[in-house]
Amino acid sequence: MPIEIPKDKWPGSVQTVTLGATAAEGGTRTKTVTVGGQTSMPFMHFEAPAPHPPVVAIEIKSKRPEDWSPLLAETWGEAMDAPAKWAAKAQEAGADLLVLALTLNDTPESAVAATKAVLSASGLPLIVFGPGQVEKDNELLVAVAEAAKGEKIGLGICEDKNYRTIVATALANGHVVTARAPMDVNLSKQLNILITDMGLPLDRILMDPTTGALGYGMEYGYSVMERLRLAALQGDRMTQLPMIVTVGFEAWKAKEAKVGEGVPAAWGDWKRRAIHWETITAMALIESGADILVLRHPESVALIKAAIAELIPA
Amino acid sequence: MTAFNPAPLGIQALEHTVTFRHQDQPDISVTVSTNTLVSEAARQAGIEINQPCGGQGRCGRCAVQVTLGSVRRRSTIRLQPEDIEQGYALACQSVIEGDAVIFIPPQEKIERRLTTDRTAAEVTVPAGYEYERQQTIRRLHVQLNPPSMDDQTDDWSRLQTAVRLQHKIENLQASLPVLQKMGEALRAGDWQVTIIVDLSNVLQSLEGQQPVRLLDIQPGLRDEYSPLWGLAIDIGTTTVTVWMVDLVSGQVRAQAAEYNGQIARGEDVVSRIIFASKDSGREEMRHRVLETINTLVESLCKRTQSQPEEIVKAAIAGNSTMMHLLLGIPAASIRLSPFITAINQPPPFTAREIGLAINPEARIDCLPGVASYVGADITAGVLASGLDDAEAITLFLDVGTNGETVLGNRDWLVTCACSAGPAFEGAGMQHGMRATLGAIEEVWINHETYEPRCRVIGNVKPKGICGSGLISLLAEMFISGLLDKSGNINLSLPTKRVRQGEHGPEYVIAWGEESESGQDIVITHVDIDNLLRAKAAIYAGFTVLAEQVGFNLAEVEKILIGGSFGKYINVEKAIQIGLLPDVPWERFVFLGNTAVRGAYYALLDWQALERIEKIARRMTYIELSADNAFYEAFTSALFLPHTDMSKFPSVEAAISVKPEGLPPSA
Repeated sequence: MPIEIPKDKWPGSVQTVTLGATAAEGGTRTKTVTVGGQTSMPFMHFEAPAPHPPVVAIEIKSKRPEDWSPLLAETWGEAMDAPAKWAAKAQEAGADLLVLALTLNDTPESAVAATKAVLSASGLPLIVFGPGQVEKDNELLVAVAEAAKGEKIGLGICEDKNYRTIVATALANGHVVTARAPMDVNLSKQLNILITDMGLPLDRILMDPTTGALGYGMEYGYSVMERLRLAALQGDRMTQLPMIVTVGFEAWKAKEAKVGEGVPAAWGDWKRRAIHWETITAMALIESGADILVLRHPESVALIKAAIAELIPA
Repeated sequence: MTAFNPAPLGIQALEHTVTFRHQDQPDISVTVSTNTLVSEAARQAGIEINQPCGGQGRCGRCAVQVTLGSVRRRSTIRLQPEDIEQGYALACQSVIEGDAVIFIPPQEKIERRLTTDRTAAEVTVPAGYEYERQQTIRRLHVQLNPPSMDDQTDDWSRLQTAVRLQHKIENLQASLPVLQKMGEALRAGDWQVTIIVDLSNVLQSLEGQQPVRLLDIQPGLRDEYSPLWGLAIDIGTTTVTVWMVDLVSGQVRAQAAEYNGQIARGEDVVSRIIFASKDSGREEMRHRVLETINTLVESLCKRTQSQPEEIVKAAIAGNSTMMHLLLGIPAASIRLSPFITAINQPPPFTAREIGLAINPEARIDCLPGVASYVGADITAGVLASGLDDAEAITLFLDVGTNGETVLGNRDWLVTCACSAGPAFEGAGMQHGMRATLGAIEEVWINHETYEPRCRVIGNVKPKGICGSGLISLLAEMFISGLLDKSGNINLSLPTKRVRQGEHGPEYVIAWGEESESGQDIVITHVDIDNLLRAKAAIYAGFTVLAEQVGFNLAEVEKILIGGSFGKYINVEKAIQIGLLPDVPWERFVFLGNTAVRGAYYALLDWQALERIEKIARRMTYIELSADNAFYEAFTSALFLPHTDMSKFPSVEAAISVKPEGLPPSA
């Protein structure tokens, strides 16, 4: 007996956002990355094929991070001392794009130098995150945005109490911004309204709904993302932005990933567990609509890329 | 006098004579050139036309009437077609093109014409009030036969007999303190006395022989028409209001309000309950509110030239927590699941029992409440607003600290409460104050210079900002681009009035040299956050309430607004900040403090008191914390005017037509 599978038809669609600019577009990237464009819930290919599958970014730092897991230090090795080397290695590891995270010790000069080094070491599109302190973020990101004019990089992080300077420099230098709100549909939407009120078009905004690692609030973030995506498909303009999630940052904070000693034997091999913690968090979030996953470990990248490939019908 | 020259067709004369006509003043004529603004021509004539918005053509307050000749109107905002037909024009937006005679109407008349402003209705004695039919407290003259060796009846029996014969009161009772003063009063008055009795039991019951309490006995026969004093009291979490009422005429003779002395021990009911639960906290809370009331009563007595002992009745409204704290009844159960009060309908008390510094025998009616978070303030408010008798479905909002809301009509009433905080009463704000002398009650901000224009109560130097001033200030800051939709102050604007202050970004409303204290009057980022949370809580409260009963707010025919934050509210401004729903302005009615008004009605009329009891029984309470809907609605409303702009089409239109020359919000 033939079975008719019921199909949802949605009035709205997700905005497409492109990161990076090739030489023809005024930049120096060898490729660009486009996300968004979905007209159905994630991986519901029988309803409508998604034009752009989720992509993976690898997070690198402008200066060697002292607080990262020894497992990450072990795999990236000396590349962690030089953003250019780290970027090249990340590209080899299969990243679709790169995230460069600046630190509180950076000066505008060192931030610009790191950005330029990464841009020349890799042809991948780039997103630059400030260290997460209002004044420092603004100081560093303005310098970076001006230095990277034409490359269409992503600038983060815009929050409701600090978005004007970042958006203004993105407007002036042709970049994209990432807008982070703390796990709430309304707050995400409000921030997107504030940013578009300044004149930045929707195709230059990514939203970061904030997530938690597996076992650390992920299910709440999952639900918020799912509701954002449902609202987007129902036609709510201010929720129709592609979503970026910082999975590596969250997963490597979890005790299960971070700690190798003094944990129950049943937890098994530390490295395997840590990589799985990152991968499974990422896996769940692409099911809730994530478009850009920011990961830290190359093996997680390989696993999740394979999983995405399998989810996309040939 | 030259001939009258109307604007010629084709060629325009360069000079025109404009005659201004003022009420009760001789006409003044000036000669001005073509294209002179009417407001400028008036200035040249030595007449200052009030322009609250600074001549931007936004407030409509400078309307004048052209009675002869004509002017060219560059804008007609706020003017109805029929106004224009009658010659009305905005002085700041109209230019002279020929000779004209212009009448400058008195300001009050213009304000009455404005559809945006809502002033609380005057307090009038309820229609048909008859002291002898409706009042429970009565003053009676009694003439006794003096005792003699032939008649050795005791004083009390003698009085009872006289009262029975002269006033048909069968069962007179008295407390010991009254009995203690009785003998002296009888003799001092030479066996003619004036007594004050409480007839409540007789009026409320059909059975005979109900006890009648003797409240007071005074020597001699007092003038029947001299005032007999009573108090209508509203104990708000933030503001305590007392009206001094003459029970004979029914008139309110004086009003006074002050912040509740309990504020020092917590701004909201929950923190007050916690404080009252500790050690001597309960006694302290009781004393603090009593002190506030007693101080207010003292000042009312001074103003009415009366003595506190002459006050023989009081009706008290207040939320359930306030009532418990006043009565010294433990309130902890209000805060803890399953959230019940010790008592919703307190019995009558005497002032002595409660501790009010008025006649100790005075009858005190504490009005009945519904539940822990829907108290007597709201039942009294429903009575005052007439909601329980309304045919049309009506929304009643109390814009106060506890944001109570009632929706319904004479067939059904649902209610909810949400903690909004004291911001709209001016408390907890850097320069907030109550709506009294020196309070800024209206603000207009120029869209190009960001300079404010304020209206101050009493036309004195400003001391601070009251609730209605805060609503208009927030709206103006938003519409002028000083604030983004999230309430952040834009520090990059070219004005010295925005700056980084001690508590973060702030906007200066009045410089030190303009203010009463010599200090700058500012609104800080923290104040704005408080106001946003307050308005979001109130908006979320009534939207969720309406959703729960499946009612579309756009269909509400009438919205009644109560609140002790000022005597006036500009509904357009309140809509612009997303406090009130975006429905036509005509649907709003501002009632002022409805709780004290309800208490006033109950003070005068024993049937009104019974009606409040009925209202309390009829209201269905909806608990907002039962699910996530309120929180969703709250965060969604925590934006200017709202995250869902489609709910505020008029505001969307207002911010999309910013005047030219406005710098981009970046």
